[in-house]
Amino acid sequence: MKKDQIGNRSLRWTIVFGAIIALAGAAWGIFGQATPATPPAVGTSGIFTPGHASLSDAARHFFDIRSVPVQPIAYTHKVHVIDNKIECSFCHVGADKGPVAGIPGVKKCMECHEFVAVEKPEIQKVADYSKKGLDIPWQRVYGWPEESHVRFNHAPHIRQKVDCATCHGDVPNMTVATRVMNHTMGFCVACHEQRKVSNDCMTCHY
Amino acid sequence: MTHRWGMAADLDKCTGCGACVTACHAENNIPIAGPVEAERGRAMHWMRIERYWEGEFPEVKLTFRPVLCQQCDDAPCEPVCPTYASHHTDEGLNAQVYNRCFGTRYCANACFYNVRFFNWFNPVWDKPLNLQLNPDVSVREAGVMEKCTFCVQKIKAAEIEENAGKPIRDGDIKPACVQTCTANALVFGDLNDPESAVSILSESPRGTKLLEDMGARPKITYLLRETWNESNRKG
Repeated sequence: MKKDQIGNRSLRWTIVFGAIIALAGAAWGIFGQATPATPPAVGTSGIFTPGHASLSDAARHFFDIRSVPVQPIAYTHKVHVIDNKIECSFCHVGADKGPVAGIPGVKKCMECHEFVAVEKPEIQKVADYSKKGLDIPWQRVYGWPEESHVRFNHAPHIRQKVDCATCHGDVPNMTVATRVMNHTMGFCVACHEQRKVSNDCMTCHY
Repeated sequence: MTHRWGMAADLDKCTGCGACVTACHAENNIPIAGPVEAERGRAMHWMRIERYWEGEFPEVKLTFRPVLCQQCDDAPCEPVCPTYASHHTDEGLNAQVYNRCFGTRYCANACFYNVRFFNWFNPVWDKPLNLQLNPDVSVREAGVMEKCTFCVQKIKAAEIEENAGKPIRDGDIKPACVQTCTANALVFGDLNDPESAVSILSESPRGTKLLEDMGARPKITYLLRETWNESNRKG
């Protein structure tokens, strides 16, 4: 009997503490964000918090919730890579040269699509962008938040014959690229250990 | 052969123009604190020009000394860090890892050169100034320490090319301050290479270290000023 009472009491305290923490969190979420001191710029705000611009940002990062990028054109990697045997590096030209692999500009698309498959509606969208002199607003699929301070460089990885699929999954069989790999620090460090390359913090974080 | 990066600063050549300070701000995305915060001691300059007045007016002489992180071999900032955010790399760089730092500021207290800076605020650049940020350097957020990195992004870029078969020649790597110095007062290079310009200058009889008796073994050599007058003119 006594045991039950203690059990009840501790349960009640748990509920009370839980409610207090939830209320405090909600209050901070509402009032903390409602009064930014300066207009946000460079992905940050005037709120005094290390790491994340807002509480919801931190929560999203913690639970690894990301918005799914919606691409302006229903591009298919499969048709280009599998059916027509185009190398990854034909479009992602920067991969073996520098930090950024790069997304091809609309001019690169039009090199072929001025003549190939011009009647298809998606290709006509590309032609429209080209005529207007605009680039296609592709959405980013991979990448780290600014707070990660990661400075990744594609070139040394490609030169060491790391397969694109090691980090990006089976992109050749995808339509638009989707995020199938989770680029955590453990993922990078495990491979660096296996290949006996530097694991010093300064290799990636600066 | 591993590298050991070092620098030499010729005080005879330094004109105190401050171009290095500006270049450092631009290269490393260093926020401008503004007059109010600077008054509270929160100004951030990874590099500064110290000014010295010698003599009495009108016989006054103004001299300068560029001061940046001395990249000490026995750095006082490293053992005090509880998270190993401040640590030594194999190449002798005194590295600051922003991810690990949670802002105890012990390192800034331990550093007697006053070259470590705390981010009191999330940096804000008014549009369109945010477009001039260097993509090779991260933007530090509120709550972390930062300091001169010897432009590690340039060092890393050169080392990646070195691994691909392009050797680093003396003078290939130029941190922003060295690149900008109009008088060529600053020289950067590999101290492990006995023929590099910085090795030769470091062994010059004019060479001194800043606050040498503190025993931190800094890697920046200051070449003392020569006094030029009729009595010591040779020939």
